Amino acid sequence: MKDLLKALPWIGPAVALIAAVVLFPVGLMFWNSTRDISQSGLDDGGVGLANFATVVGFQYFWPILGRTVIWVVVVVGCTLLGSLALAALLNKAFPGRRLVRMAVIVPWAASVVMTTLVVHYGLEPYFGIINSFLVDVGLIDTPEGYGWTRHPGTAFAWAMAVAVFVSLPFTTYTILAGLQTVPGETVEAARIDGASGVRTYFSVVLPQLRGAVSVAVLINIINVFNSLPILRVMTGSIPGYDADTVMTMIFKYMQNQRQIDLASALSVIAFLVVIGIVAIYVRVVRPLEEV
Amino acid sequence: MAAITESGTAPREATRPTSGDRKRVRKYTSDQVPLGSLLLRMLAGLVVLVVFLLPYLIMFFGSVKTKAEIRSVDPSYFPREWHWDNYVTMWATPETPLLQNLVSTLVISLCATLLVLAVALPASYYTARFRFPGRLVFLFLVIVTQMVQPAVLTSGLFRQFIAWGILDTWAAMILVNAAFNLSFAVWIMHSFFAGIPKEVDEAAQLDGAGTFAVLTKINLPLVWPGIVTAVVFTFVASWNEFAASLVLLTTAGNQPLSVALTKFVGQYETSWHYVFGVSIVAIVPVVILFMAIEKRLVGGLVAGSVK
Amino acid sequence: MAQYRRLGGILAIALATTTGLTACGFGGSTGEATGDGTTLDLLVPSYSDATQGLWDDVIAGFEEENPDIDVNLQVESWDNLESVIATKIQGGEAPDIYNGGPFAGFAEDELLYPVDEVISEETYADFQPTFLENAQVGGTTYGLPFIASARALFVNDALLEEAGAEVPATWDELLESAKKVSELGGGVAGYGMPLGSEEAQAEAAVWLWGGGGSFGDAEQITIDTPENLEGAEFIKTMIDEGATQADAGATDRSPLFDIFVQGKVGMQVGLPPSVGQIESDNPELEYSIHPIPTKDGEPFTLGVADHLMAFQNDGDKQEAITAFFDYFYSADVYVPWVQAEGFLPTTLSGSEQLADEEALAPFLDVLPDAQFYPTTNPDWNAADSAFKALFGQLDGNKSAKDVLAEIQTQVDEG
Repeated sequence: MKDLLKALPWIGPAVALIAAVVLFPVGLMFWNSTRDISQSGLDDGGVGLANFATVVGFQYFWPILGRTVIWVVVVVGCTLLGSLALAALLNKAFPGRRLVRMAVIVPWAASVVMTTLVVHYGLEPYFGIINSFLVDVGLIDTPEGYGWTRHPGTAFAWAMAVAVFVSLPFTTYTILAGLQTVPGETVEAARIDGASGVRTYFSVVLPQLRGAVSVAVLINIINVFNSLPILRVMTGSIPGYDADTVMTMIFKYMQNQRQIDLASALSVIAFLVVIGIVAIYVRVVRPLEEV
Repeated sequence: MAAITESGTAPREATRPTSGDRKRVRKYTSDQVPLGSLLLRMLAGLVVLVVFLLPYLIMFFGSVKTKAEIRSVDPSYFPREWHWDNYVTMWATPETPLLQNLVSTLVISLCATLLVLAVALPASYYTARFRFPGRLVFLFLVIVTQMVQPAVLTSGLFRQFIAWGILDTWAAMILVNAAFNLSFAVWIMHSFFAGIPKEVDEAAQLDGAGTFAVLTKINLPLVWPGIVTAVVFTFVASWNEFAASLVLLTTAGNQPLSVALTKFVGQYETSWHYVFGVSIVAIVPVVILFMAIEKRLVGGLVAGSVK
Repeated sequence: MAQYRRLGGILAIALATTTGLTACGFGGSTGEATGDGTTLDLLVPSYSDATQGLWDDVIAGFEEENPDIDVNLQVESWDNLESVIATKIQGGEAPDIYNGGPFAGFAEDELLYPVDEVISEETYADFQPTFLENAQVGGTTYGLPFIASARALFVNDALLEEAGAEVPATWDELLESAKKVSELGGGVAGYGMPLGSEEAQAEAAVWLWGGGGSFGDAEQITIDTPENLEGAEFIKTMIDEGATQADAGATDRSPLFDIFVQGKVGMQVGLPPSVGQIESDNPELEYSIHPIPTKDGEPFTLGVADHLMAFQNDGDKQEAITAFFDYFYSADVYVPWVQAEGFLPTTLSGSEQLADEEALAPFLDVLPDAQFYPTTNPDWNAADSAFKALFGQLDGNKSAKDVLAEIQTQVDEG
């Protein structure tokens, strides 16, 4: 207890900020998930868990949940692999490296919505530059291009590509920053012992990166899971529920159907799912472990 | 894989005294790296450069096209006429007071970032250095705030800020951005603090330094890259925040650029040239921020730990 | 050591900023009321890039005549409008005057003033009766018809001539003409069929009602009916026989009309603002406007009216709201507004004034016979979103019957 009191001046402000700003809205979300709320947003009384039953009973619920898992796993996985490779490259000396480093920053600096809108625009039939390029080089034979964002499969794949693209900068830079804390002597020692470059990387460098990588992955998992704008833009005009994830479904409940109660219920479910994922992740990877 | 085999160079580079970056690279490469792998790196760098800039080149070229050319069924890679005046006229469009939006975005993002730094730095340091009951609970609690879909929380935030009487003020958005980005900042910095050997601290404490002095004098220099990462992360997230700003800020001049952008979207037509132009304008300050602190981020101050 | 000092400095600044944050934070100016008068909050959507300016002018004129009333204007895009109003209502901060689409939900929750309490009799009497009927919930009028649109078939005369096709009046003729135009190749589509989420409900109405169906009335929403099935089946025929553009199910209306404007689509249903769009983007386009083809050639049009409505809130601003509405609907203010946005007026005096307007003539002619969405049914919103989410599936393997049934189910559950 004494230890906790001693910690208070250090962690107190953070706790206070979160308690003041976040607690009420999150509480309201839980509360709303058990209420019947009219279209214009008025509370018409409690309904217990009926909203949850409706949401889970929705015929596309399980496919949507499955797609959400695929979305998170593929995007985070590709992001991690891509970032490790990118960070390794950017950590090397070569003329023009500074320029490349700046370029890698740009998708991070740009808003996700705008990046997605540009890609979506490029992929449109008739107007899109990407489509028109593919037609010009003869890969597509319809003169107006292909409706990439009009079929659930291709639209979802492109959405994943965009998600990886915008996640790369942060992850790459976290790893790059981690690489700076790898002591040069350790690497040197391994080389003198005759370890090859690849082996040095996996046996010496990578373990040193554990702290940075595991936290970056955790942040990516949460962010990718919660990501709404990319899918909303890329798959927004597709009818049906064949390209939806939990997040776009929450959006559809809230925005299109104006059912705040159902949207809240699904948010609570999403919240629990992501807590579950994070708990498993923390258990297995132990990002809090001191190196 | 070829690119990775050459590891070991960077940390050593980092241990060199910070002088002119470019000069160091030149000397370095001519010294040790074979020309073949150097060319390979440059090639890989070029590919990365093109891939990462492509969407923004499309955006940029769009921003100097006419409204009609952007939506032309015969799309042009480059503008047929360069309408640089788009960048002049967009500041005086009737839809939104863009200059005020830019100022709002800057103020909100800067204040939110500073607030996060002030709150998260001690918390992350302490949790990484000291074990105390509730430490894991705290870290988990912090990250839980990040797991809720922000769009669902907006109505709660709205009510809360009405009650506090700060609806439609910068303060509201500074608090929101700070609170919702705190967790990542704490976790990122925590992982960097945790990476520093405890012996460093203990040595300093033996010399009679207090906890605060150990933090500021010994640890901070070592975790610079982590701090910068956290700062950038918070700043960028605040810069681009949309869902809460949309409902909490109702006066056009108070709204950030992310919300201002949507004003160019009409019911049946959209001023795409302005949307693209404003997006470019919004990217520039962040890139400048990066350029300013890039050396801190990667140039490294690891030297301290070795000395 | 030098670096340590610098670091300490930065930290000090960081800490200082937290204490100084209040100053930093409250810098944002809020549009506070001045003097002791009333303040009206006005929340409106953006119809075009002129909307903000048009309202600014109206407000300036109004404030000059009523110095004790201040008007706060907030303009949001259509995409964001509904989330903004929903949040405001939940927070107990509804705007005083709101410009939006369906309002039956607000009326049902007793949030709105009945119209006759916030407008003078003369102004009320000037509205076209068909529009007023469409603004009533349970016999009480809650919305003031604001601007209207009607739909008509825009035809690219050059393409039809090149393909040797006739302007159609019936579905069969439409199919034949559209196929001929599609065969021209080169990315040209015969009929532009936007079933994507943007405005799927409008294209649905064009076809289902054109085959004699309806979406129901104020009491009941009926989608899965034999009458509606005919139109849905014919949409499938159009798609299957290649009379439409590719991927009709996920094509949104606005981008598709951009393509029409640039001469790559033979025929598409458009609205009054479409005329202005062609004029500004491609004035050379050879086109004409015709009644929408129907199953048996009987002309009809889909009418849509947006409304102004007044929220009760504390119930103390009735007079100011009345003053505002009466000012806005005076012909000198109202007609130029409607005209600038390229829509149709909902008042009798407005229609008279614009009767000579050549571009609007095809729409004004059909307006009195327009059919409307059942917006006074509180379930209409669920139907609207079900159409947006599901109707496009007609372009695919699902049968027309299944698609209508799925929409009906979602409405009944919603």
